Amino acid sequence: MNLLKLKDISKIYGSVKALQNIDLQVSQGEWLAIMGPSGSGKTTMMNIIGCMDKPSNGSVVLDGMNIAKESAKSLTNIRRDKIGLIFQQFHLINYLTALENVMVAQYYHSMPDEKEALQALERVGLGDRAKHLPSQLSGGEQQRVCIARALINYPMLILADEPTGNLDETNEKIVLDIFKQLHQDGSTIIVVTHDPEVAEEAQRTVVLEHGRISRIVRNEK
Amino acid sequence: MKKQTMYFRMIISSLIRRRSRMLVALLAVAIGATVLSGLVTIYYNIPRQMRQEFRSYGANLIFVPTGGDSAINEDEMKKATELIPAEDIVGIAPYRYETIKINEQPFMAAGTDLEQVKKTSPYWFVSGTWPAGSGSVLIGQEVADLIGLLPGSSFTMTGTDSTGKGFGRDFTVSGIVQTGGTEEAFLFLSLSDLEGLMGNSGELDVVECSISAPQATLEGIVRQVGENVEGVTPRLVKRVADSEGTVLTKLQALVYLVTVVVLLLTMICVATTMMAVVAERRREIGLKKALGASNQSIVMEFLGEGLFLGALGGLLGVALGFAFAQTVSMNVFTRSISFQPLLIPATLAVSIAITGLACLIPVRSTTDVDPAIVLRGE
Amino acid sequence: MFWRMVKGALFRQKGKMLMIAFTIALGASLATAMLNVMLDVGDKVNQELKTYGANINVMPKGASLLDDLYGVAEGSGVSDQYLKESELGNIKTIFWAFNIVDFTPYLDTKVKLNSQDGEVKLIGTWFQHHLDLPTGESLDTGMKNMKSWWDVSGQWLTDQDEASAMVGSLIAGRNDLQVGDTIEIEVGGQTKKLTVKSIFNAGSDEDEQIYVPLQIAQELTGRAGQISRVEVSALTTPDNELSRRAAQNIKSLSIKEYEIWYCTAYVSSICYQIEEVITDSVAKPIRQVAESEGAILEKTQLLMLLITILSLVGSALGISNLVTASVMERSREIGLLKAVGAHNSPISWLVLTEILVTAVVGGVVGYFAGLGFAQLIGHSVFGSAIEIKPLVIPLVAVLVALVTLAGSIPSIRLLLSLRPAEVLHGR
Repeated sequence: MNLLKLKDISKIYGSVKALQNIDLQVSQGEWLAIMGPSGSGKTTMMNIIGCMDKPSNGSVVLDGMNIAKESAKSLTNIRRDKIGLIFQQFHLINYLTALENVMVAQYYHSMPDEKEALQALERVGLGDRAKHLPSQLSGGEQQRVCIARALINYPMLILADEPTGNLDETNEKIVLDIFKQLHQDGSTIIVVTHDPEVAEEAQRTVVLEHGRISRIVRNEK
Repeated sequence: MKKQTMYFRMIISSLIRRRSRMLVALLAVAIGATVLSGLVTIYYNIPRQMRQEFRSYGANLIFVPTGGDSAINEDEMKKATELIPAEDIVGIAPYRYETIKINEQPFMAAGTDLEQVKKTSPYWFVSGTWPAGSGSVLIGQEVADLIGLLPGSSFTMTGTDSTGKGFGRDFTVSGIVQTGGTEEAFLFLSLSDLEGLMGNSGELDVVECSISAPQATLEGIVRQVGENVEGVTPRLVKRVADSEGTVLTKLQALVYLVTVVVLLLTMICVATTMMAVVAERRREIGLKKALGASNQSIVMEFLGEGLFLGALGGLLGVALGFAFAQTVSMNVFTRSISFQPLLIPATLAVSIAITGLACLIPVRSTTDVDPAIVLRGE
Repeated sequence: MFWRMVKGALFRQKGKMLMIAFTIALGASLATAMLNVMLDVGDKVNQELKTYGANINVMPKGASLLDDLYGVAEGSGVSDQYLKESELGNIKTIFWAFNIVDFTPYLDTKVKLNSQDGEVKLIGTWFQHHLDLPTGESLDTGMKNMKSWWDVSGQWLTDQDEASAMVGSLIAGRNDLQVGDTIEIEVGGQTKKLTVKSIFNAGSDEDEQIYVPLQIAQELTGRAGQISRVEVSALTTPDNELSRRAAQNIKSLSIKEYEIWYCTAYVSSICYQIEEVITDSVAKPIRQVAESEGAILEKTQLLMLLITILSLVGSALGISNLVTASVMERSREIGLLKAVGAHNSPISWLVLTEILVTAVVGGVVGYFAGLGFAQLIGHSVFGSAIEIKPLVIPLVAVLVALVTLAGSIPSIRLLLSLRPAEVLHGR
């Protein structure tokens, strides 16, 4: 079953064609990597899938809904209910503790639940750092808080933009291990990256070049 | 956990953990609120305080005998003065004038309540001392020059009393009074001394009142006394009462305008500072939106912080403003001022409104921005 | 490169810099307006207090107020002293001539009204007299300016009204006179018919008097060119220790003190100077007015001074606060500059220059806006322009400079103390 279906998507900024005629399907439980050099349209694609931007042409069907036609307000709702976002720069709120940062996502989604938030932190191995502020955490720890935050509302789709871009090898491995675990649990994951090692972990790699899909690689393991 | 609890937790965390920025914002609000409450307190107190100062011009209302009646008696005076609100009275001095002789030269002697004269005519310049007790008199400069008396010297006052009998009594000069006006040709002694000499009482020629009240109130007193007390004609001393009205109105208008200008500028200053503090948080707003926050809930969060800052800053401002107004009043008028309880809610309301508005403007412009643009770079 | 970076910051961060410039402009305009108003408020209030009428009384030497008491009329020898009308213009030639606002001569006499027993006081005066001074200047002065509190029904007399009079309300009431009626006065066997042009209520013993133009009174009494007293309204400086000592005995002053006293607009030195130019005269301050004016003037000035201080401190804190806030906001940029190897002092200079350039722009705009505010206050409160004091310009400049420096230095220090890595990692 296809969770996400991009059909003939184009995105044009003025005279720049960021994406051209993209067709892509992602099925439930799949782990997909999007690769490509800088300026190939990775971020644009991630924004469109993440309901933070709309395509100029074509349709995006997420869980049976065409999000290309929705208003900004309902896009916010869809994002909140169905997508967990992970950023390269972590983007934690710096005056809230790790635990509170996770709870913020619960708060905007439904009800903050401290116990559940703590469990999420424990799952990424940060149970003992729940009361720390982001400035007291290392980069890897911050990224794990970010993952815990993305997972807390049981999203249908986890969307990660260069999740390991700011991390050293040790932390990169920890984060990838978490992704593997999530994949085994049946989560659908899309990772945007330019690191072939990260991309190799996924089941499929979509390579973008000049706004078009140049090839799709199936990673056999 | 309830949703509200998380809401408050977020706001309080933001206020406590972003200490330096929040202090800056709080300072801005407190300054605004101080200026507001201080100036408004001064503005309301100016007429009252200045009116007290204007009383140094002397009596602004006098009672004279009606028509054919040659004198006011004590009952009439009492009845008339009871119609004046007690808290407005600065001084009430009754005067009785009689011709007496010193060295067989005629002079005018005024019997009065000298303690009250000090209050109704604060501009009198006395060299020597004010008379204390019976037997001492204050003499005008003209009289002193004419008969060569100095403070401390004594003389004999002679004359005829109300029944036609002659009298003579020794008095001591306690002081010489200079006013630049007709008072310099008079002698002043206590009313009881003069009544003792004349052998009768209740024969007042004029009662001078110094009343600290706006002109409308004075006119009201004039009307009431005129209607209710027989034998007494109240008259406004127009030179003093009218001029006081004119000058006070101008002064009040001055302070009013200054207050308005200062407040306007200060409030804009507060608003720009708040805007600067909030504008810094564009990324945070973008993130919250990416996490699925609706515009409304972001606005609510900032409003919550603004409300709290506004309330705290407003309270600080009320206290500091009152302290400032009190300092001004003590320094300028050497009197304390009354506290206006109404100013607490008013200052709080204004500072909360300003802070809230100042928060909302940058938040609004940010919530319209796509979260992707905010989160992408930097 | 330095200026390129400054320019870049100024133009690329247009919105933010505009906001700082705007706030500084507000503060500067506030300071300009308040300082100008404060420095001029003394003169303005002094002018207003002139509504209280004269503060100096000039009389012939030897004449005294006693004539009222003795019931001695003029002509009986005692108070038969007069000043010369021709010398009046001299009052405007004294050292403090500029401070003399108005003056009015009076010639008092007693007349019989409508052949009744008892006498009433008839006073000849200037109502609105045009006077050409020996200095070549000219002025209009007279009672109309000085008795602003009089409540006149009918019209003020003019000096050319030879057959009219202004009658006090008490006399009018007693004799049942209306505006337009004719009265007959008799003095020394001479009679004259006058039309009642107006009835006034002065709220004092003036209500028992009749006023006519000066030359009429001089004609009736046969005292051409003579006057019995002059009331002078002058702008004065509040009394202090020196003026009080001078008032008691001028000879007790040293030469230097004497000069200071003579060249200050104390009521006593103005009196002294008037006595110098009017032959055989005594000028006395009317304490009721002189004293109170001083007190009120002092209070008002002090009040304005304190309000000015409050608003200056308020806007100073407000601006430094804003500058602090906007410098703090740039932690990221400063961290980056440090990361690429900039030392502390060039960074500080960069930020300071930006802020100061903004402040200068804001300050200049604010100064002129402040002049506007000051004139607004002047015109709406006093109905006249506030004098623009050049002294305010350096004051405002220093204030703006201090305030922006005070606002930026602590925040720059704070930012410099941060480690670039922390800042860049979005602490």
